[in-house]
Amino acid sequence: MLRFLLRRSSGAILILVLISAFTFFMFFAIPQDPAMLACGKNCSPDALAIIHKNLGLDKPVLVQYWNYMYGIFAGRNFDVGHCSAPCFGVSFNNQQMVWDTIKDRFPLTLSLTAGGLIVFLTGGLSAGLIAAAKRGTWLDKVFSGVSLVMSSFQIYFLGPVVLGIFVYSTGWLSKPKYVPFTEDLAKWFMGLLIPWLVMATIFTANYTRIARSSMIEQLQEEHVRAARAKGMGARYVFMRYAWRGSLIPIATLVGMDIAALLGGGMVTELVFSLNGIGRLARDSVVDKDLPTLMGVMLISAAFILIMNVLVDALYAVIDPRVRLA
Amino acid sequence: MSIIRSRTAQVAVVAATAGALALTGCSSNSNSNAKEKTKTKQDAASQAKAVVFGDAAASTGPAAAVAGARSGGTATVYQEDDFSHLDPGQIYVSDGGLLSKLLFRGLTTYKEDAKGNQTVVGDVATDSGKMSDGGKTWTYTLKSGVKDETGHEINSADIRHSIERLYAPFITDGPVYIQQWLSGGGTAYRKAYAGPFKGNKHLPDSVLATPDDKTVVFHFKDAQPDLPQALAMAGYSIVPEKTDTQAKYDTKPVAIGPYKIAEYKSGKSLKIVRNTNWDEKTDATRHAYVDGFNIEYNHDKDDQTKTILADRGEAKNAIMFTGQVATNELKDVVQDPAAMKRTVQGYAPYVWQLNFNMDRVKDKRVRDAIALAMPSTAVYKADGGAYGGEPASSLLSPTTPGFDASIDPFNRGKKPNGDIAAAKKLIDEAGAKGMKLVYAYANTPVRQQQAVLIADALNKIGLDIQKKEIDSATWYEQMGKVKNGLDLYMTGWGQDWPSGNTVIPPSFDGTQIQDGSSNYSHTNDAHVNSEILRIQKITDAAAAAKEWAKLSQYITEKINPAAPIYYTKVFQIAGSNVGGLRYSTVTSYTDVTQIFLKK
Repeated sequence: MLRFLLRRSSGAILILVLISAFTFFMFFAIPQDPAMLACGKNCSPDALAIIHKNLGLDKPVLVQYWNYMYGIFAGRNFDVGHCSAPCFGVSFNNQQMVWDTIKDRFPLTLSLTAGGLIVFLTGGLSAGLIAAAKRGTWLDKVFSGVSLVMSSFQIYFLGPVVLGIFVYSTGWLSKPKYVPFTEDLAKWFMGLLIPWLVMATIFTANYTRIARSSMIEQLQEEHVRAARAKGMGARYVFMRYAWRGSLIPIATLVGMDIAALLGGGMVTELVFSLNGIGRLARDSVVDKDLPTLMGVMLISAAFILIMNVLVDALYAVIDPRVRLA
Repeated sequence: MSIIRSRTAQVAVVAATAGALALTGCSSNSNSNAKEKTKTKQDAASQAKAVVFGDAAASTGPAAAVAGARSGGTATVYQEDDFSHLDPGQIYVSDGGLLSKLLFRGLTTYKEDAKGNQTVVGDVATDSGKMSDGGKTWTYTLKSGVKDETGHEINSADIRHSIERLYAPFITDGPVYIQQWLSGGGTAYRKAYAGPFKGNKHLPDSVLATPDDKTVVFHFKDAQPDLPQALAMAGYSIVPEKTDTQAKYDTKPVAIGPYKIAEYKSGKSLKIVRNTNWDEKTDATRHAYVDGFNIEYNHDKDDQTKTILADRGEAKNAIMFTGQVATNELKDVVQDPAAMKRTVQGYAPYVWQLNFNMDRVKDKRVRDAIALAMPSTAVYKADGGAYGGEPASSLLSPTTPGFDASIDPFNRGKKPNGDIAAAKKLIDEAGAKGMKLVYAYANTPVRQQQAVLIADALNKIGLDIQKKEIDSATWYEQMGKVKNGLDLYMTGWGQDWPSGNTVIPPSFDGTQIQDGSSNYSHTNDAHVNSEILRIQKITDAAAAAKEWAKLSQYITEKINPAAPIYYTKVFQIAGSNVGGLRYSTVTSYTDVTQIFLKK
């Protein structure tokens, strides 16, 4: 297992370096000048040259990239002060250390991911298992039908509708707002309840469908039928044999969803005016803020790679036949 | 001032302005009801008077109390974006200007009464300034007891430093009027002096002198009668010398105003609390009734309007800074008498105009035809509905001193949605049927909608309009290029202070044409250039206002470098627990220095 993890980690680092280079050089391939955004009203060529120098954009792109990567491991000095490793640079837009901004935004994204995950995994897997167990019955049809409808919703549609009804019109729920749970647990919970439920509505449907189909597939496997033929109880076989086998596609989906959400649930954060990694990513693109964009891209990519490794490792735990060779 | 984005959200072009924004003209709407209509030019006209310069008595604090005001509580502010800058020397947009009213102070500021009349008074100075040598020399004496948040008393060295630091390379935004008046136009001032940080050098006493701790003397090459107004801009707020951290100052400035920064989370929020070293007795214009403001970013117009309209929880204590009632929520607000009592509205100082690239569209008959064809009503309604603006007939806003509503060369009064027949006739006369013209517009939903309306109208009069979409983030920079390869483009411009001097010269002075200039039409007319020089020397504000108006009329009628399309208006809403709501003629938004929480 250790050898597997080391091998996959080194591969992941190489991929991260490639992603960083791709993002960095693509940014400069696009005909745009981030200095123009800082140039303000009196944007003469002289003023633009001063901003280029201030932002370090007057140096060759290769040198800029080297400086950026060097800063991640060794830190860098800027006009606004020293940036300790891991230094993702200083934002073009607001002169703040990017790593500080990411650290500030991450707890919201983590809360959103964790809460949402609990809600949609609980709901989705339960409904999927029941539908599989009651295959062909009215219950199965209801769960399957509802999940089909739910999965066709989008957060940018459902979010404003829920806000309109439960916040602006009736006032039954408070407007989404992030309060750290270390500060006030109740406000943290109530502040994120609507985003969790809206996210869960859409994600639950996916998990219901995949859990159902995976379970049905497993129930038709020979080892499951053999267990039943040997006289084992239906419930025991369902949970001990079929459920375990159906976990592999579910684990893959969970891994990818966690990685995507930790990388920033952009639409969710925009719809509910929340300030997490997703919004930061959006803002960095709009503001042509290369250091922030690089920071968010690398963090998001890192989450995807880490979850990939973890999911692969989990396969072996779920199914001992899988070898981590 | 141009209308510049502060930081792009999905769409909004945030109205840009200096700290001492503009004279706009409306008072609070607290007595209005659902039937009340949007403000009219008559409302603004009462305010479009030449500015008055206040003496020591007018500059002495404390400010007159707001009726019914009480202290305490924390107000919430919903904002679309983070502030572009916190360093006052780099503030040049509306939201930063509003914040500066709470955090910073300058040598002068504006004092306004309940009717919106305003007077330039001394802020840190004892009065609005003493002019001598025909306007070339200005002397300021500082008040005693004005302290920054650290307890340091502001002295003349701090004033000198605040001006000198604006020459430093890290200052890349903010107004440049005074630097240019002192040390040369364009970017010549940067070559003349590099700021106080390298070699500890100062501007020579022949330019800026501080004979003692309480006196500051400005020496200009030419008369600068508008100096008191320029000094009232947020960009000329005071930065105490000893606590200036240069580039770092943009994230943690030192307050002199009634509030100081308690916590700043970039891109998320800003909390400001009372500055205990601010003494209301030294301040003739500001109140500090609330204990602080929690400013939250990333609330778009729609979210701001819905949240404040719902009026629940902290939204009861909420105001908008530069946000406005969203167009799709207008009906809900206007039809609700209780909600209307919580609104403020008035003119903003901007005129949206269709610039002609004079290097490319040379036939005045074609320019006149396009101006006549402009569907002004449809265009302004795409930008905020009936409360967002009104058809414009002049390049001066109704809020600019000297504005004359009777001047209407393109018949906006009778044909606010364009006179296609008259325009067609002119195109035929000019033999311009089928003429290809490139119309550029920013890639925001509002400008995209307006582009369709404008292109349709111009195609109807026989022109062949080629639409070209431009990135909104760099719109003004691209329009500012002399060789921009475009024929028609819409820009917004408003005064930096209530005078045609901040409208006509920046937009139409041919001697200033260069990349980055705001003379977007590339107008270069000998008469206009000489008149600008002449009028700028007039030291009587009322006389100057008349002359700027005459020159504006000449430009529109005889040259027509830009077709006026619409004037802009502001319409905001606040929570039900917010008292002291009034429209500020200084900032053109809710007056943040007056508000209190009712309970």
